[in-house]
Amino acid sequence: MILNIRPVLSAIKRNPTGALLVGLQVSITLAVLVNAAWIVHQRVVKIEQPTGINTRDTFTIAVSGSAKQFNAGAAETEDLAYLRSLPGVAAATVADGVPLTGNGGDTTVWLQPGHRGRFVPSAEISMDIEGIKTLDVPLIAGRNFRPDEIVPYVPGKIAPSASEAIVTQALAHALFPHGNALGKTIYGAVPKTIIGIARNFMGPQLGSPVYNTIIYPRLPGQGNYYMLLVRTQPGRRDAILRAAKKHIAASHRYGVIVYTQTFATANSLMDSSNRNVAILLTLVTALMLGVCCLGIFGLTTFNVGSRTRQIGTHRALGARRRDVVTHFLLENAIILAGGALLGAILALVIGEWLTTHYALPRLNLAYLLVGIVALAVVGELAAWQPARRAARIPPSVATRTV
Amino acid sequence: MLGYYTRLAFKSFRRTPGLTALMVGAIAFGIAACIVTLTVHHAMGRNPIWWKNNVLYAVTMDSWDPHQPYDPPHPNRAPGQLTYRDATYLYGSDIPKRKALLSFVTGTLSGAPGQAAPVWTMTRITNAGFFHMFDVPFEYGGPWSAAADQGPEPVIVLSRRENEKLFDGRNSVGHTILWNHLRFRIVGVLNHWDPQPRFDDLTGGGGGNFGRPARAFVPFKWGPALHLFPNGSMSCWAAVNTYRELLGSNCVWILMWVELPTRAQRQRFLDFMNAYWAQQRTMGRFQRPRNNHLWKVSQWLRLHHIVSNSSRLLLRLAFAFLAVCLINTVGILLAKFLRGAPIAGVRRALGATRRQIFAQHLVEVAMLALVGSAFGLLLGLGGLAGVRALYAHSYSAYGKVAHFDLIGIAWALALAALSTLVAGLYPAWRIGRVAPARYLKSQ
Amino acid sequence: MTHSEAAMLRMQNISKIYRTELIETYALRELSLEVKEGEFVAVSGPSGSGKTTFLNIAGLLETFDTGTYELDGRDVSRLSDDARSRIRNEKIGFIFQSFNLIPDLDIFDNVDVPLRYRRMKAAERRKRIESSLELVGLAARMKHLPSQLSGGQQQRVAIARAIAGDPALILADEPTGNLDSLMARQIMDLLEKINGMGTTVVLVTHDAELARRAERNIHIVDGVVLDSPSQAHSPQPRAESAAD
Ligand SMILES: Nc1ncnc2c1ncn2[C@@H]1O[C@H](COP(=O)(O)OP(=O)(O)OP(=O)(O)O)[C@@H](O)[C@H]1O
Ligand SMILES: [Mg+2]
Repeated sequence: MILNIRPVLSAIKRNPTGALLVGLQVSITLAVLVNAAWIVHQRVVKIEQPTGINTRDTFTIAVSGSAKQFNAGAAETEDLAYLRSLPGVAAATVADGVPLTGNGGDTTVWLQPGHRGRFVPSAEISMDIEGIKTLDVPLIAGRNFRPDEIVPYVPGKIAPSASEAIVTQALAHALFPHGNALGKTIYGAVPKTIIGIARNFMGPQLGSPVYNTIIYPRLPGQGNYYMLLVRTQPGRRDAILRAAKKHIAASHRYGVIVYTQTFATANSLMDSSNRNVAILLTLVTALMLGVCCLGIFGLTTFNVGSRTRQIGTHRALGARRRDVVTHFLLENAIILAGGALLGAILALVIGEWLTTHYALPRLNLAYLLVGIVALAVVGELAAWQPARRAARIPPSVATRTV
Repeated sequence: MLGYYTRLAFKSFRRTPGLTALMVGAIAFGIAACIVTLTVHHAMGRNPIWWKNNVLYAVTMDSWDPHQPYDPPHPNRAPGQLTYRDATYLYGSDIPKRKALLSFVTGTLSGAPGQAAPVWTMTRITNAGFFHMFDVPFEYGGPWSAAADQGPEPVIVLSRRENEKLFDGRNSVGHTILWNHLRFRIVGVLNHWDPQPRFDDLTGGGGGNFGRPARAFVPFKWGPALHLFPNGSMSCWAAVNTYRELLGSNCVWILMWVELPTRAQRQRFLDFMNAYWAQQRTMGRFQRPRNNHLWKVSQWLRLHHIVSNSSRLLLRLAFAFLAVCLINTVGILLAKFLRGAPIAGVRRALGATRRQIFAQHLVEVAMLALVGSAFGLLLGLGGLAGVRALYAHSYSAYGKVAHFDLIGIAWALALAALSTLVAGLYPAWRIGRVAPARYLKSQ
Repeated sequence: MTHSEAAMLRMQNISKIYRTELIETYALRELSLEVKEGEFVAVSGPSGSGKTTFLNIAGLLETFDTGTYELDGRDVSRLSDDARSRIRNEKIGFIFQSFNLIPDLDIFDNVDVPLRYRRMKAAERRKRIESSLELVGLAARMKHLPSQLSGGQQQRVAIARAIAGDPALILADEPTGNLDSLMARQIMDLLEKINGMGTTVVLVTHDAELARRAERNIHIVDGVVLDSPSQAHSPQPRAESAAD
């Protein structure tokens, strides 16, 4: 069978606006489809980014003093001793921030004293000696804090800054791209020595860079407020959380439990915004693709309807059903090709715009190619049914007057 | 004529029910997407106190580190909050009609009749001006007096929710309650007050920009008096060790709002700030460039990027979607109208003017837009419920703002229906141009 | 038949040229013609000679390139589209070979169409529709759709539609072309009846028998009128045209 382009082209020419409009739909859909898929991919990557901490067995209890009489230092020491004595508790620490929640401090780490030179943004979190053990984060290099390095809490005083720090691999690399960060001094309010490098984990900050975190050996208690992070042995989390909550609520005359939360909840909350954006994008894009297909379906149906006599005449003159189907699919393919060409350009433009305005990585061209192929297949499928219906038009309609 | 055209439109729909359903569906989906995203967007970008936009100002001064800006990516921005020194000095001015300092501290409430255990309560420390400036509604009682801002009398205002919890919603004004184990007299109970976004405090303290408002309010002075560390946002660029040090430090943790009804007052207050700035600079403070600023509420909201990037992205996506839906509709309409061209030709031959043919088809488009909008509204409300469900457990503000919002929905509907109509202009115009003799020869 | 001597339709030196990218076709060449008020004129001529073009111009469906055209004493050569629409609506009734009824309107609504565009009161419209359908003998079929009628009945509806607006001039382009001879005669009877009530009728037909029933016969050949009274002794139609 010969693919005859000429009659197909002249058919398109008869309703050029219709073809143009479908082509336009195809192009916008392609551009959005490709970029939406790209964004969804980025979001999924974010969701799949490892937290680096044990989120399964860990929970938080936040405690606040309710009067001046509350001694946060004594209370947290007491709570820690209690928690560590509980069978089934793997590790426990006090902290002034909670990873994965956005609850915690931000800081700027400097390479030179007096806030000069290069600086790197980072999250900061003060914990005691069991801090990294509680988060289940292994040290890559260096050592953990020693008990004598932990800066104690003094009532009525904000604890003075510590002079040691453990940093994540990511922060170490950001600070010292070429050298070993271990033993180096970094600067903030006071100078600190990096004594350990921890495997990457997500700190309290929700924005990027997610893996930049610095840990200080310090017992918090500022504002009569502290958080207890507890990791249990597998499977014991909920029971221990219940017991600890009950015990701590009863043990402080001037203190109350503000809230408790498992890390699993915090993690799913953190993922949920990425997941939801991904869901919404996918949904709208799918609808768009659907509408685009309906457009193709509509145009082909219309063309078949308004050319019934003509198709009948062709059939009477010897065209096979296959030829009729091919005619309409070819006509649709030409429109799709035009739309895809425009859409590809549009997709690249939008991709570029997203890169500059939303700090998205540059669009992967493979996405564009896959998008074009997918749209071509779906688009031809949309034209398939009306084309088949055209093929079923009997040759006799040519002789019947309409 | 309108009735006649409407009847003709109905006949036309009945002739091609499939295409009509397709067009209505496309319009409805496009409109629904716009309703959902525009509502969310509108709710996020709303100014909850627009009627006072030109008289309320947030006060900022750049007291930050001489060596680095407060916000390195935006070096010209001052911190959003003030130090204790600056805030109390500026508060001393009597130029503003009203003024208030704002911060959060943690507190517990206990001693209500029948209350078993103390409850932890995010407490706003502020001044009486807060309630007046922001038109905060009261269910019982009212704001504390100006004297209570200065004087020794411990007074407290409860939120409606807290009053319901502690007093079963009864009028508790005049009762006393223990706030951080000190006896405070209740002077007022708020009515429902939950401005979204929470324009009064966009520093991220107390649950974020779309979080719940404070549950209890006490005069600002009680924070410093009881050495209560701020529990909202606080930023420092040098270490502080004691509460006393904090009060004298360069840490910023206090929001200040002033009401300046006239331009002259505004200028005078700025002059006052500038004079203070210059005087302090001679004493070695304020070594960064002068950046004293009064922000209108709308500017303040914009400054804090209340409208999230993903909201803006989804809004654009919705418009692209609507565009596809409309192009789709235009294509189908055009095809459908042109198929009816011979009939339009007959009508023209029988004396219809171009305008009459155009009007007839435009009425058809308008009816499609109307029906599509109605379905779109239903779909959109469903979509909003979906977004709410999706974001019920999330940090994102969507769950909070994806509510039935009359203005947002009206906007979206008007926009979508109008754009459908505009899109339908072209096919209607095309068919209106049909030459009367063109299709008469043979059919 | 008696009629006043006033001209219903006066065309002078009308030319119509159809221009396409490739060729220019002279459909009418300096055609001059007068039809008196109340006259019944049959127009005949070979295919492609310009009859339909003449009728379309007479009915203000098309414009022309040169010449002047007076309709009912008024120069309508250079009118706006709106003004032409109004005149079509009020003065002219069309009857087409292919009936051109609107398929999804019933008979009543089809006859209603020209009246609608005249913004007539509903009661007045109903009266006119009923009386004109009565005239063509189809008052009982008012609620039928065109597809439920025979060809001849459809053409009678078209005639009812043409006369419902009480036009001064009826233009019929081969109204019997799609009908058998019995039907054709019925249609002709109707047209004569309408003409008898004072309406001017211009009928294009190939049927010599029908043409003979008209008061006056006009031949258009190659865009020119051959034997109108003013050009009584014109040459005979060319051979190539006669072959049609
Ligand atoms: N729209 C057009 N474009 C170009 N040429 C046209 C057009 N309409 C008519 N013509 C040409 O004008 C000439 C006159 O056409 P017209 O339709 O008036 O003929 P007719 O006398 O009515 O023929 P018939 O008896 O076959 O109906 C023909 O040569 C025709 O080809
Ligand atoms: Mg003809």
